[in-house]
Amino acid sequence: MDTHLNQETYRLRCGVAVYAEQHKAFEQLLTEALTQIPANFVFLADVAGQVILAKGEHKAVNLVMLGSLVAGDLAASQEIARLTSQFQDYQIVLREGANVNTFITEAGQYLVLLVQVDHDIPLGWARMIVKQVGQRLGQVMEGTETAVGQQPTLTFGHSDSNLSELFDEALDDLWGET
Amino acid sequence: MRINWQLRILNLKIVYYGPALSGKTTNLEQIYKSVDPQRRSDLVSLKTNEDRTLYFDFLQLELGKISGLTPQIQLYTVPGQAYYEASRRIVLRGADGVVFVADSDVRQMRANVESWQSMHQHLASFGPSQAALPIVVQFNKRDLRSAMPVPIMSQLLKLNGHPCFEAVAISGQGVLPTLKAITKSVVSQIQRELA
Repeated sequence: MDTHLNQETYRLRCGVAVYAEQHKAFEQLLTEALTQIPANFVFLADVAGQVILAKGEHKAVNLVMLGSLVAGDLAASQEIARLTSQFQDYQIVLREGANVNTFITEAGQYLVLLVQVDHDIPLGWARMIVKQVGQRLGQVMEGTETAVGQQPTLTFGHSDSNLSELFDEALDDLWGET
Repeated sequence: MRINWQLRILNLKIVYYGPALSGKTTNLEQIYKSVDPQRRSDLVSLKTNEDRTLYFDFLQLELGKISGLTPQIQLYTVPGQAYYEASRRIVLRGADGVVFVADSDVRQMRANVESWQSMHQHLASFGPSQAALPIVVQFNKRDLRSAMPVPIMSQLLKLNGHPCFEAVAISGQGVLPTLKAITKSVVSQIQRELA
């Protein structure tokens, strides 16, 4: 089942959209972080856990599972900070390991960034780059909102009932394939 | 709802909410078992040593393309035990729709009502858009001898036109209709917002 966008007449008024230009900017920033730190692995998801990008050594990593866990981890850390009155923007969670250190940071209000670095990379240096990259990612995500009029908008090109039926059928297909 | 134009992915977050042991995780386990592994993620379960949900369960479904976009439905459960209120609030945040899983056991009515009320308090605290979130109610464990009649449960929860489904999630009964109903409600809501 694959229908296409007929026209782009409606504007997305809820939720978060990642546009092609933003995606390219994210890719560039993650690549920079990977080489500049240097990091083993960088991973970007949204705050609901949806995977956006991964760079570096991640062939053996289940990225979908990782997205949900990283988002949950950051959300829990933010809530802990709120409960203890220590909440600030761009807080970083650091997990020190024997071989690898892992940073998890918010990147604006919509994104979460995970960076893994070897233990011999100075923590202060890595933390500084992670924080900078997180801020720049957040700016890319939020900055484009102001130019949203030039961005593609969302329409399904179907009437309400038809679209619901399409989702119904898609779920039936999913169920019936086993 | 989240949309990635570069990857052409439309992402919906649906949260299964309800009192402890009402069958939220069982719903996700049944979905996990029933769907082709190529079309779903692994099931993430963060559990205590006693096999109770500590933080959340997570499962992602990938539907066939619709309007040129690939819809991905992220299913989350919340921990049901009373002292995990803060965790429930975290998981609920950003949801596009909620399935409230009520326990039909007559002894669980108070827990159902408390959970229902706390859910609405959390949603209201997120702002007006979240307060109007699509909600579907699943009356689970209908096979129990002690199952409370559905009209009484509806009355206790003061349901106001929410779609309701009877289920025996442990055997898979009612799981898909519930999922389809919440997806339909979410899609309708999105369309209303886009109009």
